[in-house]
Amino acid sequence: MMYMMYFLLFGLVLGLAAVASNPSPYFAALGLVVVAGIGCGVLIWHGGSFLSLILFLIYLGGMLVVFAYSAALAAEPYPEGWGSWPVLGLMLGYLLGVVSVGMLFSSSMYDESWMVCDEFGEFYFVRGDMEGVATLYSSGGFMLAMGVWVLLVTLFVVLELTRGMSRGTLRAV
Amino acid sequence: MTPIHFAFSSTFMLGLAGLAFHRAHLLSALLCLEGMMLSLFIALSIWTLEFNSTNFAMSAMILMAFSACEASAGLALLVAMARTHGTDSLQSLNLLQC
Repeated sequence: MMYMMYFLLFGLVLGLAAVASNPSPYFAALGLVVVAGIGCGVLIWHGGSFLSLILFLIYLGGMLVVFAYSAALAAEPYPEGWGSWPVLGLMLGYLLGVVSVGMLFSSSMYDESWMVCDEFGEFYFVRGDMEGVATLYSSGGFMLAMGVWVLLVTLFVVLELTRGMSRGTLRAV
Repeated sequence: MTPIHFAFSSTFMLGLAGLAFHRAHLLSALLCLEGMMLSLFIALSIWTLEFNSTNFAMSAMILMAFSACEASAGLALLVAMARTHGTDSLQSLNLLQC
């Protein structure tokens, strides 16, 4: 299990270095999809299948789809991928920085065990992470109400930002 | 520092660096912000699962809800910029340039 986890964590860092090196937004969105998929793999290997499902549905299926549609606003005739030198140079610089910081911390990195959420699983009736999210609806009812209120206010914020004809929050739009 | 902790900490720092050193497009800066949110979600979920404190899974859900709010506000600003400047290229934001 440790080798698979090291492989997935390496993919996570490499994928986000590919996004952070600022290629054209088409490629950056593709890199973010790959990073989210690898992150889902990391969560599944720790036993959190419900949280991984939430990540896929809400993050990839909700937010990144909207970013993919917005990528039409960033259309350019020659999109810069990781083959062009500014992007590749930034990516190699970021990876070099991560490797050098990792070498600073590498003394204490190999002496722990990976504990997943469902050890001693013969005595469990329900999934741990799903029951944890379910407490959002029982004991965490206040935070649920706060979340609902924040989402409603965000709807009005977005409408006011893009109202246009100088009637919204921005005079220029 | 354990490997997982190092992985999502460096993922967060990489996203922060990509947001700070943005080059050409506002949308790629917003995507780096989304990468930071992804690393925070993975961090909170792994803390929940590694320490078997399953009540903490609530925080990851709240984080995802608030991150959706922030992404939508950022995209509304992107749309406003596309309406006024015609593009999301950051070089066109030069009103304050001397």
